[in-house]
Amino acid sequence: MGSYLVRRGLRTAIVLVVASIAVFYGLRIAPGDPTGGVLSPTALEEVRAAYRQRLGLDQPIWVQYGVYLQNLARGDFGTSLITGKTIQELLGFYGRNSLVLGLAATVLIYGIGLPLGALAAAKRNTPIDQAITGFSIAGMGMPNFWLALLLIFLFASKLHWLPSGGCCAPDQLILPAVVLAAEGAAVTIRMTRSSMLEQLGADYVRTHRAKGLSETAVVYGRVFRNALNPLISLAGLRLGWLVGYALIVETIFQWPGLGYLLVDSILRRDYPVAQFFSLLLVTVVVAANLLADVAYGMADPRIRHA
Amino acid sequence: MVAVASTEAPALRGAAAARPIRSDGPLATAWRRLARNKLALFGSLVATAYVLLGVFGPMFAPYDYAKQNLLAANLPPLSDGHLLGTDQVGRDILSRLVTGIRISLIVGFGITAISMVIGTLAGAIAGYRRGWVDTVISGIVEFTWGFPLILLAVLFAGVLGPGLTAAILAVGLINWAGFARVVRGEVLGLREAEFVQAARAIGLSEPRILARHVLPNVLAPALVMASYYVALGIIVEAGLSFIGMGAQTPLPSLGVMMAEGRNYMMQSHWITTIPGVAIVSVVLGLNLLGDGLRDVLDPRLK
Repeated sequence: MGSYLVRRGLRTAIVLVVASIAVFYGLRIAPGDPTGGVLSPTALEEVRAAYRQRLGLDQPIWVQYGVYLQNLARGDFGTSLITGKTIQELLGFYGRNSLVLGLAATVLIYGIGLPLGALAAAKRNTPIDQAITGFSIAGMGMPNFWLALLLIFLFASKLHWLPSGGCCAPDQLILPAVVLAAEGAAVTIRMTRSSMLEQLGADYVRTHRAKGLSETAVVYGRVFRNALNPLISLAGLRLGWLVGYALIVETIFQWPGLGYLLVDSILRRDYPVAQFFSLLLVTVVVAANLLADVAYGMADPRIRHA
Repeated sequence: MVAVASTEAPALRGAAAARPIRSDGPLATAWRRLARNKLALFGSLVATAYVLLGVFGPMFAPYDYAKQNLLAANLPPLSDGHLLGTDQVGRDILSRLVTGIRISLIVGFGITAISMVIGTLAGAIAGYRRGWVDTVISGIVEFTWGFPLILLAVLFAGVLGPGLTAAILAVGLINWAGFARVVRGEVLGLREAEFVQAARAIGLSEPRILARHVLPNVLAPALVMASYYVALGIIVEAGLSFIGMGAQTPLPSLGVMMAEGRNYMMQSHWITTIPGVAIVSVVLGLNLLGDGLRDVLDPRLK
């Protein structure tokens, strides 16, 4: 296990370094540059050139990368070219919003997914099971931006119950959290159900029933715990997907989180912001997958990594 | 790719002959069982209709998808000359829809097909050869697989500028690894299977064993996966286009159509709902098809 961790950790580090170089180069060789987002469209080419020179964008990219690394080592992550805010300030504000949204969605995903999935398995092939399964199929086939549009239309435009976007009041959190959670909840229902059904056929279940345990105690006390194992490794993936979907959901609801910030900074070619936050999100995703693998190994001692 | 496809059918019969339990070819059995599953049959019909619309629809489109006509804006469906109505600048929605479907076909079906071939070959070689080849391929797959498609696509959009290319690259780069991962796992078990050892014992060359006895047996899980991945590709393309990171107007990706109609939901909801229903129905159809295929093709699930 120890050497496995070291190897995985090393590989993760290599990937992150490669990703940082790719993002750094990619952003700079892409068409357009920050002068488009900062200066007026009618700015003279001399003004643009002076601006590029001030930012060091006229240097070869590898020189810029070196400077960037030096600054990083000193704890200077850079400032936004457009708002002038430091990366730390941005991280504080947008990061907190993303955490709030992500936590709310996670609570919904598991708060809905686990009980409903277990219930469907316990009542398999009854109308209850069919209703839950149907709900989960619908949830998985519904693209989140489409669900977002429908909910905005219904609850904001028609009924005027909830705001259609913005931040950061509790009522503004409801719609984005529901949309962000929908697909994950659907998948969790499905995984819990099939994982429980697999366990329900096992010998130990028959033993528990034979010794007279109530069905409730067997299903929710014994089977449910064992059925959770495959879900742990899925949780890492879930977190990664949450980060991905947040890009879309935050943009639609104008929820100022990290996803919104990243999309916005890429479109406006705000290099320091775009490169820092793309790497941050990549790191979160990669770390989540790594953690899930490790947690899976600990939860199920039969799995030993060679 | 053509070479692989041409060896599949006879090889499948070969594999079936090695297992006397089955009287029929596995494809024939599978099709009969799939046809009994009504939901899966419905799913495959929806997917087929979608493919036909995307391939042939644009040829028969009544208007140019980018042609604006402000005098005929916001017409509801079933209007004279505009079967599905027109959008806020008077473009014919039917003509835009079929082109939008073609775009999601290219990203969904096209890219998934290519990545399925690449991923299956890579996974099969990794699992069959083991050793350093396996280490390298698995190392790449481990990181690629499970990386959120949308985040990757947005990163590509940052590098290449927003456009369809970003969505296509992201879908392709993630999907092949998904196929490689599943196929490798299957092949690891298959290479020790008795019928493979028998093939080795009668002196078949390794590439031939791989192509004719191992690969046909991983086709089932790869196909199941493909149907989910096509749906995922379609969703990702539309989602990216919706937030402005994918196809750019006037190219009528379904996501672009929905984003543009968004501000007119109250007055002319059909600008948004028509492409929305198209996406939801094909994704639902593909998921049902995938579920059906899995039940039919995976004997372990009975």
